[in-house]
Amino acid sequence: MDVRQADIVIVGGGGAGLRAAIAAAEANPQLDILLLSKVYPMRSHTVAAEGGCAGVIQPHDSLDAHFDDTVSGGDWLCDQDVVDYFVRHATEENLRLEHWGCPWSRKPDGSINVRAFGGMKIERTWFAADKSGFHILHTLFQTSLKYPSIRRCDEYFCTDLLLEGGACAGIQAIDMRTGSHTLIAASAVILATGGAARVYRYNTNGGIVTGDGMALAYRQGVPLRDMEFVQYHPTGLPGSGILITEAARGEGGVLTNRDGYRYLQDYGLGPETPLGEPKNKHMELGPRDRLSQAFWHEAQAGRALATSRGEAVNLDLRHLGEARINERLPFIRDLARTYVNVDAVHEPIPVRPTAHYTMGGIQTDRYTATALSGLFAAGECASVGLHGANRLGSNSLAELSVFGRVAGEQAAARASQGPSVDPQRLLARAQDNAAVWEALRESTGNERLATIRDEMARAMEDGAGIFRLPGQMRQTCTKVAELKDRYSDLGLVDRSRAFNTEWLNAIELGYLLDVAEAMAHAALARQESRGSHQRPEDFPQRDDAQFLKHSLVYRAADAPRLDWQDVVITRSQPAERHYGAAGQQENKS
Amino acid sequence: MTETVTVRVQRYRPEEDTAPWEQSFEVPYSEDLSILDALNQIKDQQDPTLSHRWSCRMAICGSCGVMVNNEPKLSCKTFLRDYREQAAVTVRALDNFPIERDLVSDISGFIDHLETVQPWLIRSEEQPVSAGAYPQTPEQMQRYAAFSQCINCGLCYAACPQFGRDPAFLGPGALALAQRYNLDSRDEGAAQRMQWLNAGEGVWSCTFVGYCSEVCPKDVDPAAAINRGKVASDINYAVNLLNILRGKDDA
Amino acid sequence: MHKPYIQRQRADWWLRNPAYRRYMLREATALPLFLYTLLLMSGLFQFTRGEAAFLQWLEMLRSPWLLALHGLALAAALFHAVTWIALVPKILVIDTDRLRVSPAAVKLAHQVGAVVCNAGLLLLAVLLLRAAAGN
Repeated sequence: MDVRQADIVIVGGGGAGLRAAIAAAEANPQLDILLLSKVYPMRSHTVAAEGGCAGVIQPHDSLDAHFDDTVSGGDWLCDQDVVDYFVRHATEENLRLEHWGCPWSRKPDGSINVRAFGGMKIERTWFAADKSGFHILHTLFQTSLKYPSIRRCDEYFCTDLLLEGGACAGIQAIDMRTGSHTLIAASAVILATGGAARVYRYNTNGGIVTGDGMALAYRQGVPLRDMEFVQYHPTGLPGSGILITEAARGEGGVLTNRDGYRYLQDYGLGPETPLGEPKNKHMELGPRDRLSQAFWHEAQAGRALATSRGEAVNLDLRHLGEARINERLPFIRDLARTYVNVDAVHEPIPVRPTAHYTMGGIQTDRYTATALSGLFAAGECASVGLHGANRLGSNSLAELSVFGRVAGEQAAARASQGPSVDPQRLLARAQDNAAVWEALRESTGNERLATIRDEMARAMEDGAGIFRLPGQMRQTCTKVAELKDRYSDLGLVDRSRAFNTEWLNAIELGYLLDVAEAMAHAALARQESRGSHQRPEDFPQRDDAQFLKHSLVYRAADAPRLDWQDVVITRSQPAERHYGAAGQQENKS
Repeated sequence: MTETVTVRVQRYRPEEDTAPWEQSFEVPYSEDLSILDALNQIKDQQDPTLSHRWSCRMAICGSCGVMVNNEPKLSCKTFLRDYREQAAVTVRALDNFPIERDLVSDISGFIDHLETVQPWLIRSEEQPVSAGAYPQTPEQMQRYAAFSQCINCGLCYAACPQFGRDPAFLGPGALALAQRYNLDSRDEGAAQRMQWLNAGEGVWSCTFVGYCSEVCPKDVDPAAAINRGKVASDINYAVNLLNILRGKDDA
Repeated sequence: MHKPYIQRQRADWWLRNPAYRRYMLREATALPLFLYTLLLMSGLFQFTRGEAAFLQWLEMLRSPWLLALHGLALAAALFHAVTWIALVPKILVIDTDRLRVSPAAVKLAHQVGAVVCNAGLLLLAVLLLRAAAGN
């Protein structure tokens, strides 16, 4: 066992982790900061975000408007104090990224350009063509290199959180190159491990997005919050699920069914807007939950297109013309060409909803502190209370910087108060943990890794998808429990240590199963329809009397334990969500 | 009967092997199947001990670089359909890097080089964020845009015989990144970075083979970046010489 | 245990890929030019040894081998010049706030420059020859 010590350990090298590392290094340059990730930081899934990053910048926009869009977009399940903090700091974080070199797209006069995005009343999405996440991530990674106090452990796979005296006192990880175990004691630990949409069969996520941090915290008794809220992005490529950014619609792309009809007008998002004149919060610029649900109805009614890669609708960009597509959506054109053999300049792109984002995650307060002292969480793995029941596109990239910075500063404040515990005091427990992982590496059971993984992904698609039917939901809970049971009888083939990806995938599968369990049970417990959580058969309405609450899932011996937490409401009382013409009327009144 | 394709995969298991060897697999063919899909299928269904890196599946994370029939490629952006005429597809770890295992390369040398060239925005005077964004017109952005597209996949390093000869050569990716900042109108660090461009391992180690730019999956054109670096290095040399001749040798 | 396998560059690396072969062909244009330079140097040397030696050297130039070398050197120089000038616009980028020259113009300037220089040299040679004949 390799034993080390640091002041702060950050698990995850994506946008939130890097921003936290920089914030901590700036807060106190004396601190020894260790950024640990199972991949090189620039591989983190922040890289795949395309459309942009929210922040009020136009003179006719306001923080209140951003607040209102976020809270109503989240179907009033957002903590409003958190949303307030977020909208007040998003722009400043975007500017800081700019000062670090992020190539935000500009207007001809050299000022920042913004684009329209779903559910946003006024254009406030900063973008770097259609590779916003890529540029943010690389800017943060490259900027992090100038701080000597940030050290990195690239390709270290975190396996456990280590506790001492009721507080998080470090982590342990596997050095992937050698397969050896490493213990790192630290006064503060930040989890920034990203989402978990890999529990689904069709998703926009990279293979590494396996809910590691969520499961690590969950296993230590930290509750996962609002896990039933999983966002389906309305436009992924059929088959692979590869993301086609909402910016395609922000720039004016339209969705049509097999009859060439812009079906969204039938789902409370109309009236139809003229081609090439996208209108905020109308039609294609409605929120993601509504658009994904509309697809489901169209498919049920037999109005989707049958493609060799499954059912789809058309995303038509042709009227934008080649020049604008090349300027604003070059990556989308490239992706469509490569993965579905379609040139968006001449043909519509087939798309369908695919699992994209976990609104929920590790419960934190507005300062990113979890229920476990010494443990902080930021980014998609956390539930800070920003997104509620449905996230608005471009709020998540801004979340990374806003709350990544908070996490870094909070962890620095804690670490500045005193040194970490003596790692030797964690050693015995770490050795016990290592023994468990070693046993897994040598496991000789009867179950195959890929089989369990695929069955889980299908079960989640069936019972925790866009629409959730009571029978299927219960089946999914049962199925996940069965799979967890079968997981303990896993048989692995690869006995080696060096870069044993079968072993690491098996640990990831354990994480995924924990997250799937939390999602399925939280979904079953929320007996209403709200945002991305829709139960059209048994509970088709929102029920504020009972469920204007965050769900909390605690790990327990058999089935997880559910609890509820009040939503912080400061100035926006729950109302009905209106888009299209109805929303406009509401604005006038 | 479904059509299959023979995929020959290079294996190297450091705990058992002294040198790489080749293992053959039959993979069911389909039009959409990428090399990455094929590798994942092999790992899932035929041999779980095969190790390779991958994540995003959409050519942006830069994890999955391998040699496909001796050319550096992103396995997620390379398709079996493009090799149907050939008897087999051979997949190896990237050239010029040490092999950790199977298709997993040790790219730490390349990452070190990236860190060397001070790839961050350098200003003589930092403006506070409250003062707003540094202005930059679309034309100014265009000057470095291509060099900012690098996903650090390392294909250009596998394509570079100079890096193969001498791993100390900073190489296409790192030097293109240095140019990305040098050409950014907001940056004032070109003079500091000149030491890396001018170093023995810098731009002058490049002999303009140009293959790095051919294999780049993001059209970064690192060969152009490096050779523009040579022009900058020449100008720097001439300016210094002039200053010395004029008795201002502090430059 | 950490035991990466170090890949050594093979001696025949430049044969293993069409891009490398093209590169080596370009580099190899230096060879005929090198031989041609040797030939010129030897001419200069013979010149210093007196008229007879120089005339003998001139006579030697009529050998088919040396004629072939001239042809080869010319072809190599042309190939190198054309491919080099094709690359120049990528390297010599004039694009600042104050001055912008299009890549096509940079290329054209080089092409014109090459033609003018060669034509100038040719003219000079002809003039010198005429002057010599006039004597």
